[in-house]
Amino acid sequence: MRKSLPQRIVLSVVGVLVALAIVFPTYWMFVTSLRTPGEILSPKYDLIPTSISFGNFATALGKDNFPVYLMNSLIVTVGSVLCALVAGTLAAIPLSRLRFTGRKGFLVLVMVAQLAPVSALFIPLFLLMRDAGLLNTLPSLLLIYFATTLPFTVWMLYGFVNGIPYELEEAAMIDGCSQTGAFRRVTLPLLGPGLVTTSVFSFITAWNEYLFALVFIQDKPKETLPVWLASFRTAFATDWGGVMAASVIYAIPALVFFLLVQRKLVSGATAGAVKG
Amino acid sequence: MTATANVTMPAGATPPASPRDAGVKRRRRGRFGDRVLPYLLLLPALAAILVLLAWPLVQVLAISFRKLDIGQLVSGKTIWIGFDNYTNTLSDPEFWTITFRTLVFTAAIVAATILGGLLLAVLMRHLGPVVRIIVQVTLVLAWATPVIATTTVFQWIFDEQYGILNKTLDRLGFHGFIGFSWFSSGASTLSVIGLLIVWQAVPFVTFSLYAGIIGVSREQYEAAGIDGASAWQTFRAVTWPAIRPITTMVTFLSVLWDFNAFAQIWAIREGGPDGESTTLAVVLYLKGIAGNHFGAAGAIATLMLIVLALITGRYIQLLTRTREGDLS
Repeated sequence: MRKSLPQRIVLSVVGVLVALAIVFPTYWMFVTSLRTPGEILSPKYDLIPTSISFGNFATALGKDNFPVYLMNSLIVTVGSVLCALVAGTLAAIPLSRLRFTGRKGFLVLVMVAQLAPVSALFIPLFLLMRDAGLLNTLPSLLLIYFATTLPFTVWMLYGFVNGIPYELEEAAMIDGCSQTGAFRRVTLPLLGPGLVTTSVFSFITAWNEYLFALVFIQDKPKETLPVWLASFRTAFATDWGGVMAASVIYAIPALVFFLLVQRKLVSGATAGAVKG
Repeated sequence: MTATANVTMPAGATPPASPRDAGVKRRRRGRFGDRVLPYLLLLPALAAILVLLAWPLVQVLAISFRKLDIGQLVSGKTIWIGFDNYTNTLSDPEFWTITFRTLVFTAAIVAATILGGLLLAVLMRHLGPVVRIIVQVTLVLAWATPVIATTTVFQWIFDEQYGILNKTLDRLGFHGFIGFSWFSSGASTLSVIGLLIVWQAVPFVTFSLYAGIIGVSREQYEAAGIDGASAWQTFRAVTWPAIRPITTMVTFLSVLWDFNAFAQIWAIREGGPDGESTTLAVVLYLKGIAGNHFGAAGAIATLMLIVLALITGRYIQLLTRTREGDLS
């Protein structure tokens, strides 16, 4: 597909304009977070900041125990992702490497569970957590994020294990490894990229989650970042710099995770889903 | 259950003789252990799915036939009231307004997301590597910005006094927009929410479709070029068949996500002004948690599931069939 020079220039200009439109909200968040409150509320029209100040970050970090909310979010997110990875890997191994009765049924169950809209389940889950005495605790959120990301995790990891040739394990077994040993020494290390990609998706889901965090947690010091950020905004509606700085801090872990595995994201996401 | 211990080959590979031998050896060593092993490994995942997803799903249905307000919740009494929750919900004209609004809203943002993603994916194929990477990075940035952070930014952009949008419109000569409130009516509030949902959803769709497009072999496009096909004809004959299954999948996922969208709507204006940007997901929250009418909310949740099943039923059917084909 060779294109003439004018064609290429037009396409490039369109591409850059589209990129600018897409990046604008993120850019505006960063830029606002670096401005002084005076600049933010001045009627001046400047798309590019003339000075930079980190005062908003100090405000955001100092506001009612920001580190506590950050910790809460990290605990439930990292905890649920780890649980999902362990349970998901344990399930993916037999699904991919062994034949047993009920295997198909389990795969269908996983697929259907993946489709269930979780928000419809929050009433029974609310009652379940209340009966278990977990309401208003971080473990309740951890459990729910674990369960909601699990079907997806199983499905992805099942695909990844399938992608690792069984011959490699065989070779190790010929060299004297047990089957378990062969899996642990050969397949598990090769599963690394799959585990990373899968964990990014689960991380984002748990990191973003708002409804359950809003409903299940009643004590302010146990809130997670999204709930805190939403209430921060209403409580301090005029402090846009502070809100934007808090948003930036909140976005950073997700951005870092995403950029790390950017290339693998899509092949991973679509691998399991679009065979049909 | 005679061949339980046999190992499977990854699909597509021809099984050589050795794993079978290994299986035989293992079977001799620990028949019982081998038979139980897969179930032991599946147990954590199975337990979590059954307890935290499947059982609650059954519960939603059961609760919808009960009177379950704060009183029954405290006393623990179970009162069955048949279809009362459903008749009450369905006879409320407000419910129909909100259902209609939710459907239109979902359809609009799904259509915008898919169309936007498709256009971007096709555009990306035609871009040079440098510009393409720039576009990709901006997409990843939009994708990775957390939902609530995005709602705060959009509120800031659309702020009536200091928002950059009104300032820009003023500069462009539309002076009527000074101090214009984008959140004063339900329609414009929903438009802003829709825009932000679309902005966040487009990257996933674009990347998925782009992955499909680059999967098409170069020769196919060259052949189309030699045959003198126009850009549109090339798209119809070469690109579209290749990305159709992916488009169906991302459309299906978008419907699921957008129909249930809550965080953005609630965080922007809590369904306001005057409930005009309220959707079914918001009603579910208001009835169930804020209003403590769990039975009524159960009925709404069930109705939502039925509506979703009606919209996506055909695709789920298709999906289950191909999956089962895959699994055998």
